Amino acid sequence: MSDIKADSKLDTSGKCCPMPIVETNMAMKKINRGEILEITATDPGTLTDIPSWCERSGHTLMESGESDGVMQFYVKKG
Amino acid sequence: MKSLAIVVREDGYDKLLTPLAFAYLQGAEGTQVDLLFVNWAVRALTEEGAKGQVIQGEHADQDGWVRQQVEKAGLPPDIYDVIQALKATDNVNFYACSLAASIFGVNEDNLVPEASGIVGASWFLNEKAAKAEHCQYF
Repeated sequence: MSDIKADSKLDTSGKCCPMPIVETNMAMKKINRGEILEITATDPGTLTDIPSWCERSGHTLMESGESDGVMQFYVKKG
Repeated sequence: MKSLAIVVREDGYDKLLTPLAFAYLQGAEGTQVDLLFVNWAVRALTEEGAKGQVIQGEHADQDGWVRQQVEKAGLPPDIYDVIQALKATDNVNFYACSLAASIFGVNEDNLVPEASGIVGASWFLNEKAAKAEHCQYF
């Protein structure tokens, strides 16, 4: 578990591409700049998709981790 | 990526999924996506044609299973519902090729309201495909 306190959470468990990125974009629109979104995912594609999406979109991937096939990402809105 | 143009030629439930999924990804991210439906695929831009899309050929017997997997993945299982979801991003435009529309029976009366219209291929190739940052053909 991370010590980072998320302002909003999104659980995409069980869903596959394109939905984790589609839903992450939607969730990001609902939070304010500087706030943190915690994303939970089981699609292994998110391991590459989320970091590259952060880089393109100007958001900051603060932390990510994987345990038993469940990925968690903490993204600060830029 | 600022803009993406996609030409969709192949119809069939499974063959439409990839270009629609790519368009959904980029549309959700804010990319301007323009899709031109040509040949048989133009019929996917009618409600009847979209709902009638099935898996053809050697995988035809797996149509039901694929739809279940698609729903499990989080996408709407019907092509028309996917088209509506893409349109809701406000970044995706659907166009029917005028030649294909003429050949395969698509007109302004049966074109889905999510489509932006029936257009000439020349217009799409010059105004959308040539000006897009990236172009794909399916």
